[in-house]
Amino acid sequence: MAERTLYEKYGGFSQVSKIVLSFYDTLLDNDEIGPFFDEVDMSRMVDHQTKFIASLLGGPASYTDKQLKQLHSHLDINDAHFDELEVVLRATLREHSMADEDVEAVVAEFAKRRPLIVG
Amino acid sequence: MTIEAINEQLLRAIGVGVALLDSRTLQFGFRNDTFDDWFSSENQPNQLQELFPDLDVGAMQTALTESGRYTSEIRFKKKRRTLIIALDFTSTNDDVLVLVCQNITRIKELESMIDSYSMMVERNTREIKREKEQVEKLLLNIMPRSVYEEYKTFGVVTPQLYNPVSVLMLDFVGFTEMVASQDPSVTVTELNDIYSAFDRIGEQFGCERIKTIGDAYITVAGLPDPTPDHAKAIANTAIRFVRYLTRRNLSHPHQWQCRIGLSSGSVVGSVVGIQKYVYDIFGPAVNLASRLQEFSEPMEISVQDEVANVLKDQFDLENIGARAIRGFGEQDVWRLSDSS
Repeated sequence: MAERTLYEKYGGFSQVSKIVLSFYDTLLDNDEIGPFFDEVDMSRMVDHQTKFIASLLGGPASYTDKQLKQLHSHLDINDAHFDELEVVLRATLREHSMADEDVEAVVAEFAKRRPLIVG
Repeated sequence: MTIEAINEQLLRAIGVGVALLDSRTLQFGFRNDTFDDWFSSENQPNQLQELFPDLDVGAMQTALTESGRYTSEIRFKKKRRTLIIALDFTSTNDDVLVLVCQNITRIKELESMIDSYSMMVERNTREIKREKEQVEKLLLNIMPRSVYEEYKTFGVVTPQLYNPVSVLMLDFVGFTEMVASQDPSVTVTELNDIYSAFDRIGEQFGCERIKTIGDAYITVAGLPDPTPDHAKAIANTAIRFVRYLTRRNLSHPHQWQCRIGLSSGSVVGSVVGIQKYVYDIFGPAVNLASRLQEFSEPMEISVQDEVANVLKDQFDLENIGARAIRGFGEQDVWRLSDSS
């Protein structure tokens, strides 16, 4: 049997959807990263965040490295932006009472993708 | 405080945007705090169309004359967030239009999220289905469908006795030498072609290929579903195997010569093994077919006495006399030839 993912541990979509929404709210209000989404359509933005959180937690979404790189290639994302998103992500997960070690596991997953996104 | 004052206070504080308009001029007469909060802008337009340039006023007025109500939806960006507000106009008797606005942004965001999620899940479901079909296909290659169904339902397969069935055992002449003298990969590729052809031939006559061990090929008629003419099916299959090889040898540099043995009897079929399971059959019919095969000259088919008696009327059979068969005593053995 495959190991239980964090996605399952934290209650599947019904719970993860709450994380997604609050992450979405925080991002839009964030003046460091928010501007990247100025011109992004709401449904695309929600779709993006749903897949983002789901894939980090081992849910039913996965981007290949190539896709991630390609999707972010037109954006001028620097290390500071990436750091900021890490802060926002960590805060959101904590807010939803995720255990510290699980938060760090998710953040570590996120950090692995830095070379694909920044540049 | 008067009742009117309380009412106004309530109207202002409520989480729903409320505005009153003159139904002819579409000028705002009253807007509550929530409304202003959502729609305030620098120039503060005081007319409906100026505030909502995208609103279809024509359609609104038609609907208002017909039913007294009109609903619509507007989207706009506040900072970088798209707000979606549902507008509900109701006309009253005294030329006043009541506009009630609800913030449905969250509902729309949730709808988008459900869309996104269901698309992911549906894609995953499709993938899982495809994988399942792959696994099923693989398992069906190593066991009959009915056995697979049993395995799928119960997780185990009960050994089952099939009686009577006919078994065909085929072995190639000089295979070991061929592997040694030729390029083994070519030999194996050819063997694969031949086995595939055998599978197709067997299928036509309702035979179930059980297994191949190196250059030995075993197929059975009458399993898993009983067939009354299993002997006939196996004889037809055997003749076609020889015919196929004969024709193939005409156009290929490598000559493949086989010996075939046919027998009838009972076998037990079961899945053997736990991690690396194979479906296999056991029983005297299997052993006898194997022994009989040894009596065949290249490209010949040896047939058990019992089977020959069933087939005699329809097939070209010749008694080659009694033979001592290891484990089975002395029995008459027959030679089956292709009469066409």
